[in-house]
Amino acid sequence: MKKLTKETLDACRSESQRKRGNWIKVGMSTCGIAAGAGDVFAILQNEAQKRNLDIRIEKCGCAGMCYAEPLVEVYVEGMPQVVYGDVDKETALAIIDKHISGKRLLNDHIYNVKVDRS
Amino acid sequence: MTMGYKKIVLLKDTGSTGRTKEFYNLFLEQCRLENLQDDVQIVRVADIGMYDKGIVVRIIPGDITYAGVTEAHIQKIIQQTLKNNKPVKELLFTRASKQMRVVLKSCGEIDPENIKDYIACDGYQALKTMLAKSSSEDVINELKTSGLRGRGGGGFPTWMKWKFARQIEADQKYIICNADEGDPGAYMDRSVLEGDPHSVVEGMIIAGYAVGATKGFVYVRAEYELAIERVEKTIEQAREYGLLGEHILGSDFSFDLEIRLGAGAFVCGEETALIASIEGKRGYPSPRPPYPSVKGLWGKPTVINNVETLATVPVILRKGGAWFASIGSENAKGTKVFALTGKVKNSGLIEVPMGITLREIVFDIGGGMLNGKKIKAVQTGGPSGGVIPEHLLDTPVDYENLQKLGSIMGSGGMIVMDEDDCMVDIAKFYLKFCVDESCGKCAPCRIGGFQMLGYLNKISEGKAGEDDIELLERICNASKKASLCGLGQTSPNPVLSTLKYFREEYLEHIRDRKCRARKCVDLLTYHIGQEKCKRCSICMRNCPVNAISGDKQQGFLIDVNKCVKCGKCFDVCKFDAIIRE
Repeated sequence: MKKLTKETLDACRSESQRKRGNWIKVGMSTCGIAAGAGDVFAILQNEAQKRNLDIRIEKCGCAGMCYAEPLVEVYVEGMPQVVYGDVDKETALAIIDKHISGKRLLNDHIYNVKVDRS
Repeated sequence: MTMGYKKIVLLKDTGSTGRTKEFYNLFLEQCRLENLQDDVQIVRVADIGMYDKGIVVRIIPGDITYAGVTEAHIQKIIQQTLKNNKPVKELLFTRASKQMRVVLKSCGEIDPENIKDYIACDGYQALKTMLAKSSSEDVINELKTSGLRGRGGGGFPTWMKWKFARQIEADQKYIICNADEGDPGAYMDRSVLEGDPHSVVEGMIIAGYAVGATKGFVYVRAEYELAIERVEKTIEQAREYGLLGEHILGSDFSFDLEIRLGAGAFVCGEETALIASIEGKRGYPSPRPPYPSVKGLWGKPTVINNVETLATVPVILRKGGAWFASIGSENAKGTKVFALTGKVKNSGLIEVPMGITLREIVFDIGGGMLNGKKIKAVQTGGPSGGVIPEHLLDTPVDYENLQKLGSIMGSGGMIVMDEDDCMVDIAKFYLKFCVDESCGKCAPCRIGGFQMLGYLNKISEGKAGEDDIELLERICNASKKASLCGLGQTSPNPVLSTLKYFREEYLEHIRDRKCRARKCVDLLTYHIGQEKCKRCSICMRNCPVNAISGDKQQGFLIDVNKCVKCGKCFDVCKFDAIIRE
């Protein structure tokens, strides 16, 4: 990596912002990992690979809702951005089956739905 | 239609009736009758962000929220909103989160291990602009305008610390990030380091530029393994990208960082002890002045800021001090992160504007009390803070207000307590923590703490007299005045504040030998209520010390002399026949 300068920082920013497409984020701070986020992350990654899904699976920090960890946030184009909580192995599989593949939201696990107001 | 996805109806019973499922079925049925099942998805949600508002229905797209919905409204919602995109005006509710995320904005959004995620969210923009346009004085002035005060406990104005260190001529100056978070129930700093570590690093580089330091240390406790791992990666990446090291972003300014691990002594969060620990000495505090900003690490001017304070700095420079000062209350500007825990439904990390009330925090953000119990008090500021009773929960949260009430803002731990919490027990818990963590250097803290704990033990065992309270208070005040550092000066706060607001409860322990929360084991007795007892013998079979005797014909009795008050019989009895008082 060439060192950034005042001039090239902005180019790096625009390039980094260009990531588009579907994604899943798993809260992988201490609170999430203690609640089992590590397993959830592995399952999501395995399933996505197995089914050849076009989706990025990423780690993120603590979103603050520690009471509902492990938290998994999902964005699929054409659907609202959803935060699922209390996600165990079964729920992780259901997210892949129902939400990603079936384009339907899961019952009883949604803790937040983010709507773009712009 | 122009919407990107089909209609979604989110619903949840936010009251105590738990009718989410029933209502969901009703809604589903009516939608089927209208033949809408392919156009509308109805979803039961676990949390809708509103509490005690009856059945709440949120419809997307359009983001319309209805509160207090009943069966009678379903048809109207279907006909007006789902079919014709018109709101049902009498049910409309404006959702407004009382949280405001400034420091935590990217926590949970970005990948903390990927510097590009941080850069994509305007990371290092504040640094860039500063290096291009601002003098060190400009930076300090901007912070002055912002009104930012230390988020680690003391609440000292950040700009002033920086200014003192800047004014002194020295061949070397240091920036230290205090990540030695140790209050029970507090984990704000850990989450920021784990979730958005680059913001802290950027804050430290800016601090270095403002005071003329070229070297910084992140002092973090060794127990925070994941935080350490992520900060290490962060420093590595920042160096690789030219954001740390020589000639940052091609400018003349150089700054580099190292991590120092603390062994987990609570007193090392105190700045002079922290400096001693980095120097390789025993973590003993020393008297101030001289303050670290004048004579700190290895005798050089040193700025020590808390994690949250440093993470706030880049945002202030990016959005302006005036913007930050427009948030919050008269006395305290900006936002504060709290770790909300205890007997509250939604425990977690929250960030709120200063001046919000504790009641709003517990009920509107925290979702109210666990198990529907009555709130008794909120403890703020950890072992250095105090309890705030229910009748004062409407006080706006800021540094001065909390201090007036006998507590402190502290680093942001907030523990909610209900009627099952005994205030003597709480005072004992926090004091015990400080006695264990006292470094032993000064007598008021070392001996005073031990003595105070002795009196509290006497009270909770029912062996104290009324004059013991006065003696306890006298030692508290002596420790406050005469201790060398913050630990001993503030460790009596939990005792004094519980005495101030819950003196009656202390007196009950002493006079009536009663603990109303049934926490103080020595004051409890167990016996069997014969009228409820079904003589099943489960208590006898479970008693670990054979204190229960009898048979199925005669009934059972507890021998109070043998009973160790473990509570096992109370837990196993299915008929509530064991009486604990």
